Amino acid sequence: MENIGHGGKEIVERILPRDEAIKKVQELKAKGAKELEVRRQIATEIIDIAYGFFCPLEGFMTKADVESVCKNMRLTDGTVWSIPIVFDVSDEEAEGIKENDEILLTYTGNPLAVFEVSEIFTYDKQEMAQSVYGTTEDKHPGVKRTYAYKDKFLGGKITLLNPPKINPVFEPFFIPPLEMRKRFKEKGWKRIVAHQTRNVPHTGHEWLMKGAWFQTYAELPIDKPYVGVLVNAIIGEKRLGDYIDEAILLAHDMLRKAGYFGEHNHMTSITFWDMRYAGPREAIFHAALRTNLGLTHHMYGRDHAGVGTYYGPYDAHNLLMSVQDDLRITPTFSMNWLYCPHCGEVTYEGLCNHKDEWQKYSGTLIRSIIIDGVKPPRLIMRPEVFDVVMECAEKYGFGSPFVTEEYLQKRTPVFTIEPLE
Amino acid sequence: MAETYPINIWINEERYEKLQQAGLAHMAKEKMAGLKVLAVPTNEEQKDKILKLFPMAKFDSATTKSIELLPREVKDKIFDLIIQKKTVDVIDDFIKTVEEQK
Repeated sequence: MENIGHGGKEIVERILPRDEAIKKVQELKAKGAKELEVRRQIATEIIDIAYGFFCPLEGFMTKADVESVCKNMRLTDGTVWSIPIVFDVSDEEAEGIKENDEILLTYTGNPLAVFEVSEIFTYDKQEMAQSVYGTTEDKHPGVKRTYAYKDKFLGGKITLLNPPKINPVFEPFFIPPLEMRKRFKEKGWKRIVAHQTRNVPHTGHEWLMKGAWFQTYAELPIDKPYVGVLVNAIIGEKRLGDYIDEAILLAHDMLRKAGYFGEHNHMTSITFWDMRYAGPREAIFHAALRTNLGLTHHMYGRDHAGVGTYYGPYDAHNLLMSVQDDLRITPTFSMNWLYCPHCGEVTYEGLCNHKDEWQKYSGTLIRSIIIDGVKPPRLIMRPEVFDVVMECAEKYGFGSPFVTEEYLQKRTPVFTIEPLE
Repeated sequence: MAETYPINIWINEERYEKLQQAGLAHMAKEKMAGLKVLAVPTNEEQKDKILKLFPMAKFDSATTKSIELLPREVKDKIFDLIIQKKTVDVIDDFIKTVEEQK
């Protein structure tokens, strides 16, 4: 029991060996089992469940778990859990499905997983939205997603039949929990701190990571490198104007390749997840996810995973502190890094006292600079990072480092599910 | 004084040349360790109109309190107005032009 994940549960991959999976598909087809084609979001969550990213979840939530998560931020077994993981179906799709049925889930027409349906239920979506997001306004992207769920939900266990083929660029970065833990051992790291991202890094991000590395290192001896930063990029739904996935990933990796970090203290990886922008509750979810990946610490900056003005800048920190005893990961809290012309350097809000001179910058501001056709100075964005972003624009973004309609239509998918034969 | 929310027009070589030709290079302020920027002020009402006219734009409420992510061609139009009128107070004129074109 060495691979203990979130909630103190052992991480067990729920993936059938190929031969057994082929037989299982034949068996399901022979008995006329229902087949359901799933959309990308559900496919990625199936993959996450199967590889243990969502440990202790073994499948999609039943009503009791959804209710408990919404009302108490815990699963029915008491494990802290903040966001419902649900499988929604329309009345038409639910037709013919009975509790205890096994159904074959397909993605892009190919077998993906078997779903042991233990419950078919409905849930008040407004209530779900209010509990998770603290609002029922549909301009909140998480609320909008909740309202877009179909009217029924299926709960039950998932077993992956057909592991995804992760496509080039992304392939080396898809490192599931059990494999990730092996890599950390090989590195000799005793502590690893997570950097959550969905952005190309500017130096504010770089210093957030470096600051978190210092915080995490704390009292450990310095004879060998004992602490690593894991950049864990969230790969999911893209919105027009976001950086393209390839640029986010390769730019973060460039920070190490160009020597701002090194092999001894930095790795880049991906997790499939559609951001819910649930702010404090998403921070708790990220803690569970990164615990399962084998991390010991998690960096949280200002307004973690927030959107608009729905959450206070440090609401996530407060919520994390309220459940700290039930988490197996230590949060490291951070204020902003900014440029101070007086100091002539990027510095920390909590250190520098030239407040009237501070020049704050955000990912959004840097995107604007790039849109204007200007190369940011090296103190703000590393030239190697800028160059790889522009290279990605040409190679993967149809000329733009930002998501366009063309990118959405023509990009190479992050993963494919191939025929199972 | 009422709060204003800038639209940052970052000055690339082409824009800097135009500013110099118009004798307005002094209007660009140095920021972020060597960048040049024209901060075009908007008031609350103008900010809201701009965000409505250009839904891809974003008000960065958390960090910079500025209007960001306006397409380059939109900023080019604002920039051309600044050159023409020799002032950064051009937002009402700009909004009027856009509304007339709709």
